[in-house]
Amino acid sequence: MSAVLETNEVLKVFGGLTAVDHVTLSVQEGEIFGIIGPNGAGKTTFLNSIAGTYVPDGGQVRFLGEDTTGFSSDAMCRRGMARTFQISKPFPKMTALENVMVAATFGNKTIIKNPTALAIEKLAFVEFPMPVHTPAESLNTVQLKRLDLARALASNPRLLLLDELAAGLTTGELGDLMDIIRKIRDSGVTIIMIEHIMRVIMGLCDRLAVIYYGAKIAEGPTIEVAQDPKVAEAYLGKKYDL
Amino acid sequence: MKEEKLLKEPFLVVFKRWMMSAGGITITLAVVAAIIATIDSGPFIIVNTVVTGGMWALLSLGLSLVFGVMNIPNFAHGEFFLIGSMTAYFVFNPMRLYLNDNPSAFLSAIAPFLGIFLAFLVGALMGIIMEKLIFSPLRKRSRDQWVMNSFLLTVGISVVIINNIQLIWGANFKGIPSYWNVDPLEFLGVRLSVDRLAALLLSVITLAIFWYFMRRTQTGRAVRAVAQDETGALLVGINLNKILSLTMALSAGLAAMAGASLLFMFPAYPTAGLKPLYVAWYVVILVGLGNVSAAVIGGFIVALLQTLTSYYIGTGWEDVIPTAVIIIMLIFKPSGLFGSVVKGVHEQ
Ligand SMILES: Nc1ncnc2c1ncn2[C@@H]1O[C@H](COP(=O)(O)OP(=O)(O)OP(=O)(O)O)[C@@H](O)[C@H]1O
Ligand SMILES: [Mg+2]
Repeated sequence: MSAVLETNEVLKVFGGLTAVDHVTLSVQEGEIFGIIGPNGAGKTTFLNSIAGTYVPDGGQVRFLGEDTTGFSSDAMCRRGMARTFQISKPFPKMTALENVMVAATFGNKTIIKNPTALAIEKLAFVEFPMPVHTPAESLNTVQLKRLDLARALASNPRLLLLDELAAGLTTGELGDLMDIIRKIRDSGVTIIMIEHIMRVIMGLCDRLAVIYYGAKIAEGPTIEVAQDPKVAEAYLGKKYDL
Repeated sequence: MKEEKLLKEPFLVVFKRWMMSAGGITITLAVVAAIIATIDSGPFIIVNTVVTGGMWALLSLGLSLVFGVMNIPNFAHGEFFLIGSMTAYFVFNPMRLYLNDNPSAFLSAIAPFLGIFLAFLVGALMGIIMEKLIFSPLRKRSRDQWVMNSFLLTVGISVVIINNIQLIWGANFKGIPSYWNVDPLEFLGVRLSVDRLAALLLSVITLAIFWYFMRRTQTGRAVRAVAQDETGALLVGINLNKILSLTMALSAGLAAMAGASLLFMFPAYPTAGLKPLYVAWYVVILVGLGNVSAAVIGGFIVALLQTLTSYYIGTGWEDVIPTAVIIIMLIFKPSGLFGSVVKGVHEQ
């Protein structure tokens, strides 16, 4: 196994607030790597700092062996890092198919001969439940999450970043989504996922990192991290003391 | 995932809803007004409306596109029109004088197109230079107060261009009597000059190509993607700088093309861009900021308003009536007849 992503002391500061505090971790090829932590801990900001939305204020990011610190998000996408956002961001006035087609055309390193076919294939892969010509603005949350996934997959990524993809789903929908995420991993894509829902974390993640006030306080195999007293304290805080 | 078409609502239901919408009412009223005026005073009303309307459409579409994609309220848009008419003048006029002495049917036929096409290229180049030299550096430095800052910049650019043109080429009118030195065509009892017919055809063809580009090509989809969600566009690998330059180039090129095509009606002089600028803003405010397809319809509606006003009320009222209409309309539909589609200026 080799590292797909390595970060070294990544730092992101907003004014006086250290949102990401010297985070060092490495994600191995083929694993599903979970990032957990309380609200406002800096998980999303960490993803933003490695995926090009923000330029880190310190530290390095290595992606597939290349130093990509401070690269823009379109450059990262073409290098094989795709992502979904905490809140779905489709192009509302385009159809589902067009949304994925744009990603297929512009997100790949090589020129795609038939972006339409690739887009249809990816929509089928995520079991998109609607006709492909449905306008994105008329999709519901569950459908949008699948569209986000198809769009991310259309750039044929090596690493997929998922930010709270499971939030807001019912129990039945969770199971379907977990199946799709497993299917994506089995197709050879490494995954980093931010997640709050314990069932998803325990069911999917091979390893976990815990972020607390911007800093990484634990990292390791899922079971070990989940049983770590430091982690319980971070989550339960003062209540735990009482 | 199914291949079948979306469930279609019955046509009548869709049509009724459309007829009751602000856009539907306006279009219906405009068509009715045009028909009544034509019956009352003759077909030249329609002819004048579609000829200038096509050009106003090219002009407004570019203004709307730049506002929708780049969030720039461009008050230098009229100068693109002016640069187009200047370019066409300097390309076409020498050829015209040469052809007076050395007649050649073939050259006479293509010379106007050469002038107009070069105007498009020069306009597009100006657009790219403006983006690379002015907006791109500003965008890198700070996007705070972006709309206000870029507005002030475009006003400044407009002043600089007007004064430089006056300095270099003087303030006199640079016009041509006509592009095609042939008799007007007779059509259903209407006399239509070839210049007007060519302007109309050119705008229709250009609008069709533009529509195809935006809807059916991947690059056009990328432009729409940036307009709808800039972060999302970056996320799927779209190179923002390229798309922004392309947008500016298209917007400026189309405005320049309109200026060049109408050179026989509007001669070039330093402040010739002001009227087209006002017209383009009328249109864009009337139909809704950033709404590109509505800007095309709006171009024709404003042209109709102007034609009717100048014929029935008087030429001096041409700008007054459309302004009054916009003020009244804004009271009832603040976001424009067809609705604004501008993305949030500050995202996330
Ligand atoms: N652009 C920004 N400017 C200033 N502060 C920010 C910005 N983005 C995030 N923050 C702050 O940084 C901290 C970390 O935010 P972040 O969104 O990364 O948390 P998170 O772990 O993803 O939380 P959640 O679980 O709620 O999504 C928060 O205090 C937030 O207010
Ligand atoms: Mg978050």
